[in-house]
Amino acid sequence: MKPSEQRDLFPGALEMMILRTLKIQPLHGYALAQHIKKASNHTLQIEEGSLYPALQRLLKAELLKAEWSISSTNRRVRIYKLTPAGAKHLQHEVSRFERMLEGITRVLSPHES
Amino acid sequence: MNRLKQLFFRRRLYDDIDQEIAAHLEERTEQLVTDGMSAKEAASAARREFGNVGLVTETAREAWGWRWLEDLIADLRFGVRMLLKFPGFTLTVIFTLALAVGANTAIFSLVNALLLKNLPYPHPERMGTIYTRISGGAKPSDERHSLNGEQWELLRDQVPALISGLSGSTTGVNLKAGSAAAYVHNGRVSARYFDVLAIRPLLGRYFSDEEDRPHGPNAVILSYPLWRNRFAANEHILGQTILLKSDPHTVVGVLPPDAVTPLNADVYTPLRPSRDGEGGGTNFQVITRLRDSSTWQEADAQLNRSWSLRENRYELTGNPGVQVIYYSVPLQKGQTDPIRPQVLALMLSAGFILLIACANLAALTLVRVVRRTPEVATRMALGASLWQIQRQFWVENLLLALVGGAAAVAVAFAMLRLLLLRLPEHFLPVSAIPLDGRVLTFTLAVSVLTSLLFGMLPAMAARSVDFRSSMGGRTVARIGSPRLRLALIAGEVALTVVLLAGSGLLIRSLIHLQTLPPGFNSHGLMVAKASLDDVRYHDPAAFRRLLDQSTSAMRLIPGVVNAAVGSNLPYEFTGNDWITLSDGKEAGQQGGADWVYVTPGYFETLQMPLISGRFLTQADGPNAQHVVVVNRSFARKFYGGGNPVGRYIDKDTLIVGEVADVPLSSGLNPVAPLQTEETLYSPAAQLEARLLSVIHVWVQPDWIVRTSGPVSSLAADMQRALGSVDATLPVSGFYGMSDLMARTLATQRIEVALLGGMAALALLLSAVGVFGLVANMVAQRTREIGIRMALGSSVGRSMWQIGLTGVGASLFGVLFGLLACAGALRVMRSVIFGVGVYDPLTLSAVILVLLLFAWTAAVLPALRIATIDPAKTLRDE
Repeated sequence: MKPSEQRDLFPGALEMMILRTLKIQPLHGYALAQHIKKASNHTLQIEEGSLYPALQRLLKAELLKAEWSISSTNRRVRIYKLTPAGAKHLQHEVSRFERMLEGITRVLSPHES
Repeated sequence: MNRLKQLFFRRRLYDDIDQEIAAHLEERTEQLVTDGMSAKEAASAARREFGNVGLVTETAREAWGWRWLEDLIADLRFGVRMLLKFPGFTLTVIFTLALAVGANTAIFSLVNALLLKNLPYPHPERMGTIYTRISGGAKPSDERHSLNGEQWELLRDQVPALISGLSGSTTGVNLKAGSAAAYVHNGRVSARYFDVLAIRPLLGRYFSDEEDRPHGPNAVILSYPLWRNRFAANEHILGQTILLKSDPHTVVGVLPPDAVTPLNADVYTPLRPSRDGEGGGTNFQVITRLRDSSTWQEADAQLNRSWSLRENRYELTGNPGVQVIYYSVPLQKGQTDPIRPQVLALMLSAGFILLIACANLAALTLVRVVRRTPEVATRMALGASLWQIQRQFWVENLLLALVGGAAAVAVAFAMLRLLLLRLPEHFLPVSAIPLDGRVLTFTLAVSVLTSLLFGMLPAMAARSVDFRSSMGGRTVARIGSPRLRLALIAGEVALTVVLLAGSGLLIRSLIHLQTLPPGFNSHGLMVAKASLDDVRYHDPAAFRRLLDQSTSAMRLIPGVVNAAVGSNLPYEFTGNDWITLSDGKEAGQQGGADWVYVTPGYFETLQMPLISGRFLTQADGPNAQHVVVVNRSFARKFYGGGNPVGRYIDKDTLIVGEVADVPLSSGLNPVAPLQTEETLYSPAAQLEARLLSVIHVWVQPDWIVRTSGPVSSLAADMQRALGSVDATLPVSGFYGMSDLMARTLATQRIEVALLGGMAALALLLSAVGVFGLVANMVAQRTREIGIRMALGSSVGRSMWQIGLTGVGASLFGVLFGLLACAGALRVMRSVIFGVGVYDPLTLSAVILVLLLFAWTAAVLPALRIATIDPAKTLRDE
């Protein structure tokens, strides 16, 4: 199932959220999934598995870097980290999203004095 | 990681994904267990939350974009496995492809070498030759003509837009350098000839104008292979003298190593064209090169202006009102036009074979799809789309095409080798037929196209199969309408009919030519040819002495019954002469006739029957009355069939005898490769010095002996006998009479071999097609037949019904084929001799052969019906 087919998410939303989350701190797949769920206050229903194809796409586009290391709980995990290109892409996507949101908001609230 | 690295290390990427996902599930499970779930529940909950692990893995891998490649590789591996699993099918397809595509490749490489490849000279598009178009009048024509001396002089002097090169016929001459004597090919060319080819000499220079003038100094240019082999690449060869035709020639130049000329000779001497002698008739070939500053239009304009003002316009003889235009034509076209129709006909025939093969392969592939419906149905049930199934089949077809194509190249190579071995030397205007890039690309394209063709039919038919019901494996689905398969068979058979009819006509034509009434006894004869193009034999006395003494010596060989010399023998190309009748009511009439000089004993050695008068004898010497013997056709043409003996021609030459006609190759009025024509026989002893000095340039006389039985060392004995009179006269070749005929009929024999071979191949393929059709029908209907037989139908009746379908389709094919022949055979009119184009005997034979093959091919598999046990069939129900 492609992320774009999920309810409430438009194409690129998942990638944007992943980049944003990893901007704060590098994480591995499981932690990333938990983080997004918590941060959205469980309003977004994302299947955990859908993260992985998105992560691969971001890896291929060189917006992320991945490295195997040992986590705090002594587990072998693959840590994803934002690249400079990724940071720039995130900035770009966020501002685009905000502009779009502004436009939609305007349309949805026509009475503005 | 760049793209290429990603491709080669994708295993590692995929492993990372797998490990990640496994770790994720592990972590989630642990978390849930910590939260209080049991281990088992936690594991399945984690999986549920995650989603479909297999799907996620696949989608994650897809992100890297190698899915298409991996699918292709999977298809390839599966395809190879499937093809190996059904070796009968695979081998049959590859074999059929190899033969059909191989034949096409072989023919195409011929076309490539002869028609497509550029001439191996600089700027070949600026090289040309001259065509003469005669319109209106009795015999309009548009072709390349030979030139006479007058045309050449005008071309050379009055057409400055062209650099022109002239050549005469290539002759065989004796070369003597130091003590070694050899027989070599001599090309006679004008001074600028190599400039037209734009070849620079390796050593020295080309002929000067002085050397190209009659009675100029003798010069010779050596070809590179000759210089290397006979003169050990001696760099100081220039200025040295060698003996050609026993005449000293100065070596003035050597050609570079890869120089190729249209004459393909070992040495070159100046042609010395003039308006007399050889130049009195159209005996020269011309090639031209456009000067850099000129255009073809300018050249043609100058040419027409100059040649229209000629005194002696042979094109107008007998055709006063015609329009004549001269124009330049690219040299490649000029050289290949004569053979273009044959080569294209060959391509067409090869195309037919390809179509027939495609029909067979389509049928085979259809059967294969049927056989694999259980597998296909299972795959579709597991989620494969129709596109994926079809893609699998296309990949398999492509594999077959590639392997078949590779095999085809090998087959073509073998076919070309065989062909070149059987062709006489210098038959083709090129020396080698390579399988170059263009040919290989052609092979690949044809293989792929063929596989598309024969794969398309079943792919379209497969769409309509109900796979679900066929998964059980019991029902063998009926794919595509049976009418389609029958139509394919009919089409194959029709094409085969055309090919068989064509080659049948060629065969009958060849047999007709080979069995023309010989007019002499052709058994027990041995022929030796030698070149008398030698200054010593310009002297009539020396010439007479050579002929007398050599024939006497040969008569002394044990086993030899008689010996003689003639300038031409039956079946050979014969020179001709223009004569005037001198007495009686036909006085003043003129005409052409073939002309041969002979020694006394010629007619007796050949055992030619004497119709009236006498043969030539020793008494017909140089100082006696000039005499000739003529043949039946001569008497018929000039004297209306009356007795020619006692009549005079050319003022004082007396006709003393009339002999039977013999078949020869005409230079006078060629209608067929072998024909009978009006001929004059002159005594060799009465040849004048003036004629002697030029005739041996293009005539090689034959020494002929008749033996009473086989003589094992005859060739060596004849050589010794000749050598006893002149030790430096090498024999250029020994032949039997059948060899001479084979040489003259070489083209016809090649045509029969090629077209006959293809017709045989087509017949085989069609028979296989019919066989396959009926066998398949038997297999499909085994159950039905078994039931019918259990219900009372007889074996014979079942066989009859099934076999009839196969024969019926063939009958339709024969009908269509005959219709096609009505149009197709007409184009063969110019290459068929002695039979009509719609020869009933040939057509009947074709129909019979085809029906016989079709009937056999249909009956054999139908016989299997006899082994169907109706009880067993019922049990299986």
